Amino acid sequence: MDNRALEMLMQAAQSGDTRAYAQLLNEITPRLRQIIQNQRRFLQPADIEDLVQEVLLSLHAVRATYDPQRPFKPWLFAIARNRLADGARHYARHAAHELQVEDLTVTFSDQVANIDAEAYGDPEALKRAIQELPRGQREAIEMLKLRELSLKEAAAASGTSVGALKVSVHRAMARLRKVVNG
Amino acid sequence: METDRLIQRLAETSGPVSRLAPPSIRTAIWLALAIPYVALVVFVMTPRSDLVAKLTDAAYVVEQFAALATGITAALAAFASIMPGFDRRFLLLPVPPFAVWFGSLSLGCVQSWFQFGPDGLSLHPDWFCFPAIILVGMVPAITMALMLRRGAPLTPRLTTALGGLATAGLGNFGLRLFHPQDASIMVLVWQMGTVFVLTALAGWAGRWLLDWRALTGTVRRSITVR
Repeated sequence: MDNRALEMLMQAAQSGDTRAYAQLLNEITPRLRQIIQNQRRFLQPADIEDLVQEVLLSLHAVRATYDPQRPFKPWLFAIARNRLADGARHYARHAAHELQVEDLTVTFSDQVANIDAEAYGDPEALKRAIQELPRGQREAIEMLKLRELSLKEAAAASGTSVGALKVSVHRAMARLRKVVNG
Repeated sequence: METDRLIQRLAETSGPVSRLAPPSIRTAIWLALAIPYVALVVFVMTPRSDLVAKLTDAAYVVEQFAALATGITAALAAFASIMPGFDRRFLLLPVPPFAVWFGSLSLGCVQSWFQFGPDGLSLHPDWFCFPAIILVGMVPAITMALMLRRGAPLTPRLTTALGGLATAGLGNFGLRLFHPQDASIMVLVWQMGTVFVLTALAGWAGRWLLDWRALTGTVRRSITVR
C-alpha cells in the first residue's frame, strides 16, 4: 500500500472510521514486525511480538499527534524508533539487575529440586534448617515449596522479580541439601 | 493477547480524536492564556515606578525582549518535540535569544567591572527572585504541563526542560516589570540562576510527567474493560 493510501486511512481513523483504522493497523503491523526483527535479532519471537504490540498501543495513544499535511511513515517510524529505544533501555536496566536462571530447577517434578525426605529421617531438623536460612531464601522456600504458590504469585506477594526468586530458592535448596547430606 | 485481537480491540474502542494543532498555534494558545496572568501578577505587585524611564535603557529593553523571545521559542520547541517526526532543528530555536539574553547580562557585568572595579560585581542576597519567578510562571507552567501531556513523550526530559525554560523566561520577563533590580551581576546570578534551576527541575520531572507506560497502560485498560 502506498504512502498516500496510508495517509488517507490514518486521516479516516482520526475521524473515527474504525474499519479504516483496523485496515491501517493490519497494513503496518507486518512492516513493524520486520523492522523490529531486523533491529533486534537477538530477541525471541514472543519478545518481538511484545514490541510490535507496544508500538501499536503507542500509536493508538498518540494518534491525535498525526498531522495530515505531513507524510505518515516518518510519523510512524518516529514512534517505532522511540519505543524500540525505550524497550532497549528497559531491557538493559532489567538485565543488569537480574540473573537469567531459566534452567534452574524449581519444580517438584525435577529430581534435582527435590530433597529426598527419607534422607532426613528428622523432619524437625529440616524445619530448623529452613528457619536458619537467610530471610529471602526462607521466604522463597515457604512460598514456592510449602505454600506451593506459582512463581508469579510468589513474586507478586514478595515484591521481588521472578528471576530473583529463582535464585533465592536455588541457593536455599543448595544449603538445605548440604544440611541433609551433613 | 494476540496481535490480531489487539488490533481488533484498538479499532473497536477507537473514536474520533481532536488533532493536536501545529506547534505555532499551540504556542499562541499558551501565550494567550499565560500573558494575561503575567499581566495580572505585575498589576498586583505594582509595576516598578521607573518602568517608563527604563524603556529608554537599551540594555533593559534588549534583555527583556531576549527573555520573552527565549520563553516563546522554548515553548515552540517544547510543543514541536511531542510531535513524532518533528524537525529536530526546532530544538535549537531558543539558543539565539538565550545567547542574546546571557550575552547582554554578561556584557553588563564586564562594563560594571570596568566602570566600578570589583564593587561593580558585588553580590548580595536577593532570594525574592526565586519565589517571584515561580509566582509569575505558575499558571503558565501548569498550562504548559497540561498541554505537553497531550503529545507523544518522545524526549520527556528535554521536552519538560524546554517547557520549564519557556515558563521561567516568561516569569523573568514579568519579574523585571515590577522588581527594580538591574545590576547585571545580580540579574545574572539571581534571576538567570533561578531560570537555570527551574529549567533543570522541570527536566528532572520529565520522566514522571511524560511517560509512554502511563499512556499505553491507559490504552490497555480501555481495551480490556468490556
